[in-house]
Amino acid sequence: MKIVREALAGTLESSDLMVRIAPRDAGLEIVLQSEVIHQFGAQIEAVARETLEKLGIDAAQVIIEDKGALDCVIRARLQTVVRRAADEWTADWSVLA
Amino acid sequence: MTDEVQPYRVDPISEPEAATEIKALLAACDLSYEATVEVFVVLRRGRRTIACAGLDKNIVKCAAISPELQGESLSLLLMTEIAHLAHERGHTHLFLYTKPDNVDRFRACGFYKVVEVPGVVAFMENTPIGVRGYCASLKTLRQPGAVIGAIVMNANPFTYGHRHLVEYAVANCDHLHLFVVAEDTSFFSYRDRYAMVKAGISDLPRLTLHPGSEYMVSRATFSSYFFKEKNAAADSFTAIDLLVFRNFIAPALGITRRFVGTEPFCKTTNKYNRDMMHWLRRPDSPFPPIEVVEIPRIANGEVPISASEVRSLLAAERFAEIGRLVPPFTLAVLRDKHRPGRTASQIPDPPTWVENALSKKGQDSYEDS
Amino acid sequence: MKLRRSMLFLPGANAAMLSTAFVFKPDSIMFDLEDAVSLREKDAARILVFHALQMPIYRESGMETVVRINPLSSPFGMEDLEAVVRAGVDVVRLPKTDTAEDVHQLEAEVERIERACGREVGSTKLMAAIESASGVVNAVSIAMASKRLIGIALAAFDYVMDMQTQRGDGSELYYARCAVLHAARYAKIDAFDAVFSDVNDDAGFLKEVDLIKRLGFNGKSLINPRQIELLHNAFAPTDEEVDYSRRVVAAALDGEKQGLGVISLNGKMIDAPIIEHARVVLRRAAASGTRK
Repeated sequence: MKIVREALAGTLESSDLMVRIAPRDAGLEIVLQSEVIHQFGAQIEAVARETLEKLGIDAAQVIIEDKGALDCVIRARLQTVVRRAADEWTADWSVLA
Repeated sequence: MTDEVQPYRVDPISEPEAATEIKALLAACDLSYEATVEVFVVLRRGRRTIACAGLDKNIVKCAAISPELQGESLSLLLMTEIAHLAHERGHTHLFLYTKPDNVDRFRACGFYKVVEVPGVVAFMENTPIGVRGYCASLKTLRQPGAVIGAIVMNANPFTYGHRHLVEYAVANCDHLHLFVVAEDTSFFSYRDRYAMVKAGISDLPRLTLHPGSEYMVSRATFSSYFFKEKNAAADSFTAIDLLVFRNFIAPALGITRRFVGTEPFCKTTNKYNRDMMHWLRRPDSPFPPIEVVEIPRIANGEVPISASEVRSLLAAERFAEIGRLVPPFTLAVLRDKHRPGRTASQIPDPPTWVENALSKKGQDSYEDS
Repeated sequence: MKLRRSMLFLPGANAAMLSTAFVFKPDSIMFDLEDAVSLREKDAARILVFHALQMPIYRESGMETVVRINPLSSPFGMEDLEAVVRAGVDVVRLPKTDTAEDVHQLEAEVERIERACGREVGSTKLMAAIESASGVVNAVSIAMASKRLIGIALAAFDYVMDMQTQRGDGSELYYARCAVLHAARYAKIDAFDAVFSDVNDDAGFLKEVDLIKRLGFNGKSLINPRQIELLHNAFAPTDEEVDYSRRVVAAALDGEKQGLGVISLNGKMIDAPIIEHARVVLRRAAASGTRK
């Protein structure tokens, strides 16, 4: 799968996150803002990175505005935004779990 | 559920009743209604409109929440809906103007402050890497030298007047950064204007030609957004553009001197030049001052060369006269783009967003620099 | 037999509610992918619910998870089903069930997915929501359509429109309530009443709860967590009922031990339905005490 267009997913509401993704030539650029960045910033970024890698996304710019979301919500929002931005959605549910 | 807050989209033209409610809400929040807003998101509880925000392309305007309900969750819902609506309409990079008091509220909504005119207005964008990312890429184009110059031009079209300004600037700095306004609201497309500038300066040394960006002389930085205190805001409407230049673009490239042509015809551009002297040089800024050098336009005979004059001649198909005002490549573009039978009255005036801003100040016309 | 008094609706696209709703402790929690989710967010809600179903808190709390999927005839239904069966949902709620054939079709797809993902065949339970005159008239065959069905539910919003009427004092739902209830009892599955939508009208809500409890419904769909406690309390037995039920169950156990064919309490015969009802009363009391 490849990111071919910009996309947006999630909300700004508490316990959620808003994530935008855009195509990039090479490499993952993850820009994270979070109310809990000092405590959980590294973990949130790791979850985001792992979720993208599992989907085979190795080139994209990702901007995350986190509002204290649980890890599974972070995964869900990233998978949604990739689905909306990818050329074709080939991921099986087992990959998303 | 009777107390559930639901978002709705409102087309202010086809839904005049909803627009009336929006106007009432804005008035209660001491904000004015903007006719340039193409679409609104409103939040309603039952039938009552309790919050609204509008989109003028990629600029968020008229954002308001009913004064007795200033809860944060409402603004988060409102701005989530605005973000998705804008995205559907093809706008991912959003800007907004707000009172400085509201910066924290919009920060919680994913907006980041770019610059602020203290006590008057703050300019924000919906990404933490917008202007900073842009400047990081500019930094890679830094050039050595004690005096680094800059020009921002629209070149609609590129004339010998522009050429003269660039020549003068190159001769009076160690390196010149030349930006072409990117906003595509001029008579000539950005692509054509950029090509004309590129051809017109290709022989000059110590010069970097840059594509324009949303951070200079754009709909975003030159918004006609006004608060009710129109006079204060109107005086500040060039300030945002100039503060972005001073606080971000100039430090990225090490620019110490900005060159402009005098404006004998146009009050707006004249005001822009005057304001430049103020905002780029005022000493109470943490950023280094930038010298503003205003040079007189060259004349063709009696009359100074102006792009608007060229457009008038083009409408009348007077190519021989145009040839005396513009370089050969510009003339070729003009011949190529010209459609016979098009009259001057059909030619849209250049940047309409500036004109809109002006009409509110009661000024009369805009001429391209 | 599981208690299903309260079934809390949660909009599937709402991350905050999905992350925290377990604290309200409804008997069943229903993630909605259908009417509470806008077309724009169908994909997002499906993925979010897929993850929520796998949260340890839901898996371990004993709270039953239900997902209302989109109709299989819609562009979203089949993908919803793939996601939730694979994520281990307890119960799939099918909206707009008009005939037994709708249930058969759903069952076939569920079985296919169970086999594909290695889930025990038959472990995914079903619930059919009846939302039309056709559904009410076919309630018996719908209720009998699958061994996987744990219950049928009346959904009033679409039903009253189909009947060319609107929500009022409840008289507009009498026939449908009774028909759904009888079908459920005949098929020996649960019956659930429709939501009460005015969350500010506690008195109206309690009046409706009193009615459906007396009619015999197992429970009700809810849209606001605040209604859970009101509902549980209304369904809670009185001290007298608990006291009597304890004695009924004790007498039954006693009778069993002694191998008596006929069990009596205070000289009155108590038969199987009375004993079963007493057990339900005690379960309700164990879940939320006696009525306050």
